[in-house]
Amino acid sequence: MDAVQFEDFSYHYPKTGTGLDQVTLSIPVGSFTVLAGANGSGKTTLCMAMTGLVPHFFGGSMSGQVRVARQVTTDRPVSDIAAGVGFVMEDYESQLVALTVFDEVAFALENMAVSSALIRERVAEALAAVGLTGLEERELSALSGGQKQRLAVASVLASQPKILVLDEPTSALDPEGSEELYSLLAQLNKEKGITVIVADHDLAQALPHADRMVVMEAGRVAFTGTLDEVFDRMLTEQVYASAVPALRRLKAALETETRKFSPWTSADEAVAEINASLPPMRRLSLSA
Amino acid sequence: MLEIQQVSFAYPGHAPALKNVSLSIQAGEFIGLAGRNGSGKTTLTRLMVGLGKPASGQVMLDGKPAKDGGPAVMARSVGYVFQNPDRQIFRDTVASEVAYGPEQMDWSDDERQAAVDDALAMTGLIEVAQAYPRGLARSFRQRIAIASALALKPRLLILDEPTSGQDAEEKKQLMQLLGKLNGQGIGVILVTHDMEMLLEHTRRTVVLHQGEKVYDGPTQELFADPAHDVAAWGLRVPDVAAIAAKFAKITGAVRSVEELAASINNQLGGKTDEKSGASV
Repeated sequence: MDAVQFEDFSYHYPKTGTGLDQVTLSIPVGSFTVLAGANGSGKTTLCMAMTGLVPHFFGGSMSGQVRVARQVTTDRPVSDIAAGVGFVMEDYESQLVALTVFDEVAFALENMAVSSALIRERVAEALAAVGLTGLEERELSALSGGQKQRLAVASVLASQPKILVLDEPTSALDPEGSEELYSLLAQLNKEKGITVIVADHDLAQALPHADRMVVMEAGRVAFTGTLDEVFDRMLTEQVYASAVPALRRLKAALETETRKFSPWTSADEAVAEINASLPPMRRLSLSA
Repeated sequence: MLEIQQVSFAYPGHAPALKNVSLSIQAGEFIGLAGRNGSGKTTLTRLMVGLGKPASGQVMLDGKPAKDGGPAVMARSVGYVFQNPDRQIFRDTVASEVAYGPEQMDWSDDERQAAVDDALAMTGLIEVAQAYPRGLARSFRQRIAIASALALKPRLLILDEPTSGQDAEEKKQLMQLLGKLNGQGIGVILVTHDMEMLLEHTRRTVVLHQGEKVYDGPTQELFADPAHDVAAWGLRVPDVAAIAAKFAKITGAVRSVEELAASINNQLGGKTDEKSGASV
């Protein structure tokens, strides 16, 4: 079953005329999809089409349709779609509106007229999921960038979405913050079955967690499939090849007709397999 | 050319952002500045251009205290490119934006025009010289910010996370530009969270941790020596460095996937790989 389906969807912004062209794409329920592509290739527009902001908020022209949880997005208001799709924007600070951490997470629920007892319960769950328990009364101005990012995730989690869409969530984070965020997303994906869709430039971070990948090019879907399939095509066809993570570029550079390696997700895996391929005299004692 | 001498700094009401940091920067270096968010990187670079005064210690430019000249004098030697280029772009055309700095200098009209033309040429912006800066893609706006700094003919350029939000091709082009500028003798300090970029492009890295300098040395050694607890400093060992460290005896010092692949292929039996572009 698909969480999101784009059916021959084309969309053009009213002012610039740029957007998406004939996108046909299925994102399965429970998958972890990474969206890649050069700036201006359509990643953000794709994210916004999943949340209904395109075309509801931006206007413009469109053809085809997008279905989220089998319902066509143009048949429903954005607020209705938002109950099922949590969206963390690239500029996540612009979606934080309250004074304290608790109020921020409670905000959407209050607008949905959820009872105060249930709000407390949901806020506690959402903050626990992102590791911000204990900071309920903290003012947002006292949070670090990474904490604000996680708060934005908690705020959408509180509505218990089935789908989580994040647009370049790590661009302002340090390596540690990025790894924590991806681990959190992987946990939400595996333990709660939430469908996760992340647009990102740094594909190495997504490598251990994502199971599907979509590469956008000039408003169209260039490739879609498993990460291995897509990386292989990016390298073979030289489409946005410089974005392929170092491990996969190394693997491609070492493989021959007869020498193949498994899809490495860590340097340790690469070291073990490369070592096994070396002439016995030159192998390392890896336990050392 | 630039000396940071036992500098401490605190924002009012907060814990010290920098504690007794000393740093000596020679002309023409290409230095990485790394550390967690909040470790003091931006504070340190702001002090380097005179945007703020240390609580104790001092910043020396060419052997003289920087505070004597203030930011205007510092700007002639040290260019600063903000993380968000939009914070420093305010004019209607690319050329006039780049001209703002030279207009503040006591240069002749010809000197000003030459400085702008040179800066636009170095950054590949001549074709968009009359375009509206905010209508251009972010990678262009980034280059406009760099051109604006270059127009004052600095000897050192500091860039605060210049690649955040840029795609892989844009990053590659930016690093080629910085390499070219460095080749012309302009020193570069790159504040970055991108460990691959640090390894591939910088020769020396300074790491800040909780406001203190915890590492200052060759970038390759930062990642190769297991004694450096880079994880505790909020950094990550790039995969290329992690693999190269294990095979150090056969690979030697490598900085990029292409170099690593070439040295391993030598041991594995060799191949020429067209896909990766590795030359072996």
